[in-house]
This record gives sequence, C-alpha cells and structure tokens, in this order.
Amino acid sequence: MEHYNMNLNLKVWRQKNKNDKGGFENYQVPGISSEMSFLEMFDVLNERLINEGKEPIAFDHDCREGICGSCSMHINGRAHGPWAGTTTCQLHMRAFKDGDTITVEPWRAGSFPVIKDLTVDRSAFDRIIEAGGFISVNTGNAVDANAIPIDKDKADAAFAAAACIGCGACVAACKNASAMLFVSAKVSQLALLPQGHPEKESRALNMVAQMDKEGFGSCTNTGACEAECPKQISLTNIARLNREFIAAGAVSK
Amino acid sequence: MLNAKIPAGSLNDKWNDYKGHCKLVNPANKRKLEVIIVGTGLAGASAAASLGELGYKVKAFCFQDSARRAHSIAAQGGINAAKNYQNDGDSVFRLFYDTVKGGDYRAREANVHRLAEVSTNIIDQCVAQGVPFAREYGGLLSNRSFGGTQVQRTFYAAGQTGQQLLLGAYSALQRQVSLGNVEMFARHEMLDIVKIDGKARGIIARDLVTGKLERHFGHAVLLCTGGYGNVFYLSTNAMGSNVTAAWKAHRQGAYFGNPCFTQIHPTCIPVSGDHQSKLTLMSESLRNDGRIWVPKKKDDPRKPNEIPEEERDYYLERRYPAFGNLVPRDVASRAAKERCDAGYGVGSSKQAVYLDFSEAFSRYGHIEAGKRGIHNADANMLYKLGVEVVTEKYGNLFEMYAKITGEDPYVVPMRIYPAVHYTMGGLWVDYELQTSIPGLYALGEANFSDHGANRLGASALMQGLADGYFVIPYTLGNNLADDISTKAIPTTHPAFEAAEKAVQATIDTFLNIKGTKSVDHFHKKLGKIMWEKCGMARNEANLKEAIVEIQELRKEFWKDVRVPGTANEFNPELEKAGRVADFLELGELMCLDALNRRESCGGHFREESQTEDGEAKRDDENFSYVSAWEYKGDGQYELHKEALEFVECKPTQRNYK
Amino acid sequence: MKWSQFFGTSIGKKLLVGATGFFLCSFVLVHLAGNFQLLYNDNGEAFNAYAAFMGHNHLIQFIAWGLKLVILLHAGIALQLTFRNRAARPVRYAVNPGNQTSSWFSRQMAIMGSILLIFIIIHLKDFWYLFHYGEVPTVTYKGEEYKDLYQVVQVAFKELWIVIIYVIGMIALSFHLVHGFKSACQTFGLNHVKYNGLLNFIGVWIFGIAVPVGFAIIPLIIYFK
Repeated sequence: MEHYNMNLNLKVWRQKNKNDKGGFENYQVPGISSEMSFLEMFDVLNERLINEGKEPIAFDHDCREGICGSCSMHINGRAHGPWAGTTTCQLHMRAFKDGDTITVEPWRAGSFPVIKDLTVDRSAFDRIIEAGGFISVNTGNAVDANAIPIDKDKADAAFAAAACIGCGACVAACKNASAMLFVSAKVSQLALLPQGHPEKESRALNMVAQMDKEGFGSCTNTGACEAECPKQISLTNIARLNREFIAAGAVSK
Repeated sequence: MLNAKIPAGSLNDKWNDYKGHCKLVNPANKRKLEVIIVGTGLAGASAAASLGELGYKVKAFCFQDSARRAHSIAAQGGINAAKNYQNDGDSVFRLFYDTVKGGDYRAREANVHRLAEVSTNIIDQCVAQGVPFAREYGGLLSNRSFGGTQVQRTFYAAGQTGQQLLLGAYSALQRQVSLGNVEMFARHEMLDIVKIDGKARGIIARDLVTGKLERHFGHAVLLCTGGYGNVFYLSTNAMGSNVTAAWKAHRQGAYFGNPCFTQIHPTCIPVSGDHQSKLTLMSESLRNDGRIWVPKKKDDPRKPNEIPEEERDYYLERRYPAFGNLVPRDVASRAAKERCDAGYGVGSSKQAVYLDFSEAFSRYGHIEAGKRGIHNADANMLYKLGVEVVTEKYGNLFEMYAKITGEDPYVVPMRIYPAVHYTMGGLWVDYELQTSIPGLYALGEANFSDHGANRLGASALMQGLADGYFVIPYTLGNNLADDISTKAIPTTHPAFEAAEKAVQATIDTFLNIKGTKSVDHFHKKLGKIMWEKCGMARNEANLKEAIVEIQELRKEFWKDVRVPGTANEFNPELEKAGRVADFLELGELMCLDALNRRESCGGHFREESQTEDGEAKRDDENFSYVSAWEYKGDGQYELHKEALEFVECKPTQRNYK
Repeated sequence: MKWSQFFGTSIGKKLLVGATGFFLCSFVLVHLAGNFQLLYNDNGEAFNAYAAFMGHNHLIQFIAWGLKLVILLHAGIALQLTFRNRAARPVRYAVNPGNQTSSWFSRQMAIMGSILLIFIIIHLKDFWYLFHYGEVPTVTYKGEEYKDLYQVVQVAFKELWIVIIYVIGMIALSFHLVHGFKSACQTFGLNHVKYNGLLNFIGVWIFGIAVPVGFAIIPLIIYFK
C-alpha cells in the first residue's frame, strides 16, 4: 500500500458543555499520513492546539481497537465514518485524500446530551440494561456449564447479537434516533439462550418501556442502524424483539 | 519477610478449609457495611455484582462513560478452566502446574491452586449469565488450546471472549444497580485513598464531567483497576488504562509487588510512525498456523513474496525445533527482537518480522481439495480453498490487520513485532487479596499474585473473574466480620478533608505550571526510556541510566507541563496529567526492581543472566522471592521480600528446544 | 402490562400503524378490483351495480365507516410517532448520509403518507361524498334505477388537473408502500431469510408498483379515450 500525506480541512463541532449552544470551527490540518488512524489525526491536531495555547477537542475513546465502544464521531454524515463495519478508532486516513473537507459532529440525540465537543452522555444505554438486560443468576447459583446443550445455530445467533459494543452508532445513524437495534441485540441474545427464557417476557417489556422513557425515537425500519453498526448487528434482531414484545404483551397481566 | 497469611494444610485443602472456617457476616449486618470498588473490568464488575448480591452496600467507580467499557473488553483469545470436557487429561492440578511453570516459578503456589480450583465455577457462572461461548454441533461447549499447555482447556467466544465475559459481569452489575444494592459512578476517577487509624476507609474521586471532587466512605476499598502497561506509552492497553489508583495506594503504604514483571506479546501490529497512539494485538492463536521468518540477508530490499524459500530464516523453528512457532510469549518476543537488533528486521522501520500464512493456505488447500474430492486442483485453486479455511478461523483478525495497515494479509505476509501487553506485577496482596493497608484490597491485574513472571494466554480473564466472583466474597467477609460495629464514618472527618485538600492542591499545581509541553510529550519520552531500557532486555548499565533519565524527566514535567482548561469542567488533558505524573514515579520503581532482580525469569530478561545460547537463566537460590516495595517518599523505596516456597511444583529450567 | 399500556409504547403504536397498514393494503386490492369495472364497455352497468351494492349493504357500510376510522387511526398514530421521532433529535446534523445508509423511500413515509391523506380527502369529496349526499344523475338498467357514478367518473377524468391529482396520489401510494408493506412485516416480526424474498416481492412489485399503476391507469385511459 502506498503511503501518502495529505492536507485536510476539518470542520469540528465545539461545545463547552451541555448548556452551551455550540458551533462548528474550522481547522487546517496539514501533513496527515495515510497510515494514521482517524483518532491519531485528532491527537495531532490536539497536540497543536495545546501548543498554541488553545483548548484541545474533547472526544471519547479508549481501547482504540474497535471493541470498547467509546469512540463516537459522526464523520461527513456517517456514524463512525465512511467504512462499513468499522469504529472511528479503526477508521484510517487512507479513507481520505488530500484537500478533503471533513465535518465531524457528535452523536446527535436528545437521549445522548453533549457533554463537551464530541463527547456525549450515553448513560441511557446503561439504564436500559438495568431494566432487564441480564439473567437473574446470583454468583454460585449456576449448574454445570454443559448441563444444558444449546443448538449451535442459536448459540451462534446469540453471539452475533451479543457482539454489540454499545457505542450508540445505531441511534446516531437512525433518522429517528431510535435505540431499537441496541435493545433488540440484548433481548435477542438472551431470548435465544435457554438460560434467558424464564425472564424473557418481563425483559422485553421492561427494556422497551425504559427505552421509551429515555426519549429515543421509534423504529421506522429504514435499516440505517444496521448499515452503520460497526459490529454489523442484523435487523433480524429488531424483528425478534418485536415478536418477543408482542408475545410478552399478549400474556402479561 | 512478608507474611502472606497462607492457610496451613495441603495445597488441595487450603481453600476449602479457609472457606469452611472463615468468619461470616450476617445479612442484617451486611446491609450496614459499605464497600467501595474502583474499576469495573472483569474483577471489579464481578466483585461489585457478587458483593451486591450478598447484601453489602456497594459503590462502584469507573473512569469510562460506562462500566461496560473497561479494558477487559478487549481480551481476544479465551479463558482457561480445568473442566476436562475434552477428556484429554486436564485437571485442577494440571492447570495449577502449567500456570506456576508458565510463570517461571515466581508465583505463589497457594493462590494459583485456588485459581485453578475456582476456574470451573467461572465457566458455569458465565454460561448461566448468558455468555455465548462457542459450541460444538452437539450443543456442548467448544475448547481450543493456547500456548504453554498440552490440553484443550480454553473456552472462547470467537475473538471476543473478554467482551462477552465482561458484558456478562456488567449485566450482573447493572442488575444490582437496578436493585439498589450497587450505586454506580461512571466518569469518576479515584484520586486518593483515605486512611483512618491505619485502615482504608474511603476514597477521593473526581467527577470527570463537572470536575468536582467527591468524598466516599467505605468500610473497605477494593482496587480492581487493571495493569500499568501504559507506562510504556505504546502498549496494547486502552488509552485510559493507568496506574493511578494503585499508585496512590502505594504512596499511602500499600507495597508494590514485582513491578518489573511485564509481558511483551510477540504478535502485535508494528509501529507505523511517530503519530502512533497504541498498538494492536494479533491473537496468539495465529501462531498455530502462521510461520514467523525474516530474510537471511541483512537489509534485504526485496518484497517478501520475492524472497525464495531458501533465503528465509524461520528463526523460531531453527532455534526451538521442539516447539517451533509455538514457544511461550516471552521467548518468541525476545527472539524477534534479537533478529531485528541484528539487522534482519523487515518493513520500513526494520522493527518487524513476517508472520506468513502461505504454507497454511496451501496445506489447508490440499486438505480441503481432498475433502471435496477435487483431484486436479492447480495452485490457484488450492490457494483459494486454503484461504477459505483460514478466513473461517481467523477472518476477523485478518480484516483488522488489513484495516490498520492497508495491506492484504492474504497476499502479503503480516508484519508483526512484540509489544507491551500485560503487567504481572501489581499491588502486593496476601492470600485474602488484602494489600499491606488493612481494608484495602487489590483484585485482577491490579494485584501481583497469580502469574509469576509470565502469564499464560487465557489466564488473565480467569484470574479477574476468580478474584471477583469466588474469592473476595469470602475473604472480605472474613475481615469485615470484625468491622460490623464500625458505623459509617462521616466524610467530614479530618482525614477526608485533608485528602481532598491534597488532591485539590495537585490539580491546582498541574493547571498553574502553564509550561510549554503537552502531557503526551512527557508520556512519549517516558515510554521511550522504558521500552529501550526496561523493555524486552534489561541490563544494569541501562537500568541505572534509565533511573536518572526518569528522575530528570519527572523534574522537567513538574516544571514545564502544559495542562489547558480548568479544574471544574470535563478536561481530559488534566486527567492524563495526573496519570502520567504517576507513571513517571512508577517507571523509576520498575527500573529499580529490574535492577534488583539480577536474574532472568519469564518476561524479565537480564542480559547478564543468560545461558550460552542466549536463553533466560533463573537464579532460584538468590531470587526465589516476591519483591514488595514500600514507598518511603519521592524516589525512595524499601524492599521487602516474600519468600516463595514450592511444595508441589519443583522449579526446573524451562526448555523449548 | 395492560393493553392500554401496551399500545402506549413505541412498539405498541407501531403495531397499530402496521396492523392498520395491512388492513389498508387489503382494502386497496379490493378497491382496485372494483375500479377495473370502470373499464368495461357496458356503459357503466357493472360498475354502478357494484357501487349501489357497496353503498347499501349494511355490512359493507359498517366496514366502510370502519375504514375511515382506520385511515384516521393509521395517520394519527403515525404522525404522533413522527413528531416524537423528530423530537428525539432536537439538534439536527449538519451533514446527513442521504441514501448511503437507507433507502429514500424509507425516509419519506410521513411525507408520502401526508400527501396520500390529502389525496384521500379529495378523493372522498369527489366521489364518496357526492355519491351519498350530493346530486348524482341516475341511469336505468333492466328497469331498475341506479345512481350513475360511472358517468360522474367519466366526466371528472376528462379534466386534466383531476387526472394529475390522481396520478400524484398514486405516486405517493407507490412510494409509501414500497417501504410500508415490508416495514409493517418487520414490525410484526416477520423477518426470515426463507420468506424475505417473497415479502419483498409483494411489497415492492405488488403493492409498490402493480397496485398504484393499476389505479393510475384508469383516469389516464378515461382521459385519453
């Protein structure tokens, strides 16, 4: 792969805190190597801002290997940028060319208020998990791990759903800021496994109720979440959530 | 000599006897006891969930925006357990033995045995939580093998085992949050321990969003804050991984155990330039099928595919014919460094070796052609069939490699180089996981206890969860049973006041230096010193130099660092400044420890202590102990020793030839 | 969870939109079948008899009123959800992905639905209201007198602007159903790799194309006749 350097024009959302109105600021960023990751490009810019006595740009990031779900940038209109199945930290500057203008915004959702610049508060996701994204089994209560065989296809499907990293790209990408893909991934994972069956009804009802309470929009099945999900969580999970929800609603008291 | 409070009796009975005799706290009293848990990785989340279930009042803290993002999430390969589901001769004793031996006889036997005992419960617990481990067609759990073992005992969920285990523990934790047993403080960083009458009784934490300092009381404090590999700046750790909690505890009197024991993982994607912010691991499992080589000619300018077979040096196979490419991590790492230092490195930086799958493509291609009854397959066809098999096994890793490097590893061999991955050292703890400060505990990677001088693959996850789910619920109760009459101490206590003031003063100092260089500037410099002089190979002269250089760098840091922004806002640079300040002290202690340990063992390679053909040479006579360092003021440390006794595993020199 | 709570949730509301949507889908099929009688060369006898039957049968009348209620329910809940969805993102993006991540049709459901609603009101006023409450000429077949709705239609569709309104209405119907049918299936959990092809075919080719074209072709034929 040929390496090259590029000069970029960055248009970044700056916002002091959640009460600030915020706005875009432009930065000329010269000499960016195609080998850098997108966040390393931000490191370079931040280093410069610090040296110039300015405030660096705040953004969430941690593992930088695409699994922790911290990073969360809306890049040129795309959650996590132009590469499919990729988090922002794994997006590399090869995706851009000299002279490009890149607009970077925070995840936009009423349920994800901006904390500062590109950092948003995604604690709504934690509260949704609290509402039922678990199996109630205290430590020490478990039977032998091989006591209940699980159909491999179902185990694989459960794993595919469980791969969700909770980054919120589905919400960011959805025109309705809906959290259905996130909720459905957890409901699906636990509904597919026999261990999750005893609580499957209350889980579906409670998690959806909490999702609504947090103010996320509703799903209009556009599929943007699936297209932007860095872990390529499938829309079939949303269908499964709907089935679980209907079944639970029909029999719950 | 330090007393680790190891129960008497035979290794097999110690833990059972302990559980049978330890003191208990009745449910009504548990409700009155408050426990602070810092860190929500595998150890922290599992401890918080388990203690919450028991009825303790738990407060859990993490600096990330959610408990689910702790760096345990990034573990790829798997988790060991002595289930013997494969009927291949595994047992608690074998897992115990492999771990002690893999740790090059620098771990505590009793702890490791307990770890092996509870390993089986972990798998049961995780499956019950809905962790989707890989399964066979019959619906039962699948296993694979990892380095340093002869059995298949590793449970896994594709290349995302750590993620799945953490999400399991996280869901158990969130359940306790919803039940009101655990109060969760995300985006909070612990900045000091509060000690009252010699006991740990709380912490000072900073709300990272508002910048406000908070005081939290606890009858006990658990540090589950992970390792300190980021002292090297570049490592496979997350950007936020830090030593601050452990280091603050150390400064308050907790001994630091074996700080120089660092694991360098042989297969990481090499550094591509000065901009590099972190390194990415390529799973150990790749060494099952990939062959590692460098050109036989120095500074060979040719592309890898242009170098004919006879001009390639498969140096691991050459040096270690018995184990070949599957030698343990420390051995493989040193061998790569040796080749690169000798001038045979590849890639633009010359700090890399090839990990080549072309033989695997053709081998699997032949097998696949045979299976499908294709008898006249040409090379192209065989390659295609082989690629299919390799994709099935390692597809996600190949994809990640391609994203990061822009090269197609199916066509061009991967370039890899060793990188800092894990720290076996950590806060010294006794058998009960209590540090030398009463009431302060350390769990998971934050303690030093189970892996000796080298950790085996798939054992970190096992240890984190063992400590949190199955050890601390007993050992904490045993100690808190004596504390049931202690009422919650109000945080207006002078000790809280003083601690908060000191933390505030440090923050103010950072902001008032208004120097000329960024925090990262110092971090990178520290990392370079550590990597070059306290990295894969260490010697007396270098370590002594490093200590001086670190001291100077530290001075410069406190004079010239520039921390923008203010204290009362979300300020990531301020967070980093605090962490790097602690790394600048830890780095010195690591060098000091490495200097003191004039033997080679596991990940610690002293050039002065090697065999004639360049292998690590242990010195059991003089160094069969745990170094536990006590902080005595800036740059002053006192060494305490915990003697290691090996009753069941008699130390032998490791040999992989 | 009580039913009242169930249908108060976002998914519950979507189920109502989906269920009413399915009902309306079945209705357009019946409606289209009836409309094709406008193309018979029988001077409107079949069509007018059909209209009289539809207008006087009590069961049909009951369903017809129910239909109007269903339309209002469908539109009302959908609009409520739409407003809620917009409120879920108080600050909009400066750059949007356009068609890179979702189909254009899927994002225009509210717009197309609104156009459709306006069209339906016009349509009801033009024919249904006139038929029931207005002045309609009569015609006699085999000794029986019928309201000559057929003639009303023939006259109306000689007006270019009415034809244009109807064609626009049917374009809106097409765009609405290209996504709407599949979307309702997904809302009811009907997503299975074995049947998705069939559902997709029904959604796009039957409801998205054949039905609207079928409707639109009638005014066009009458206009150009």
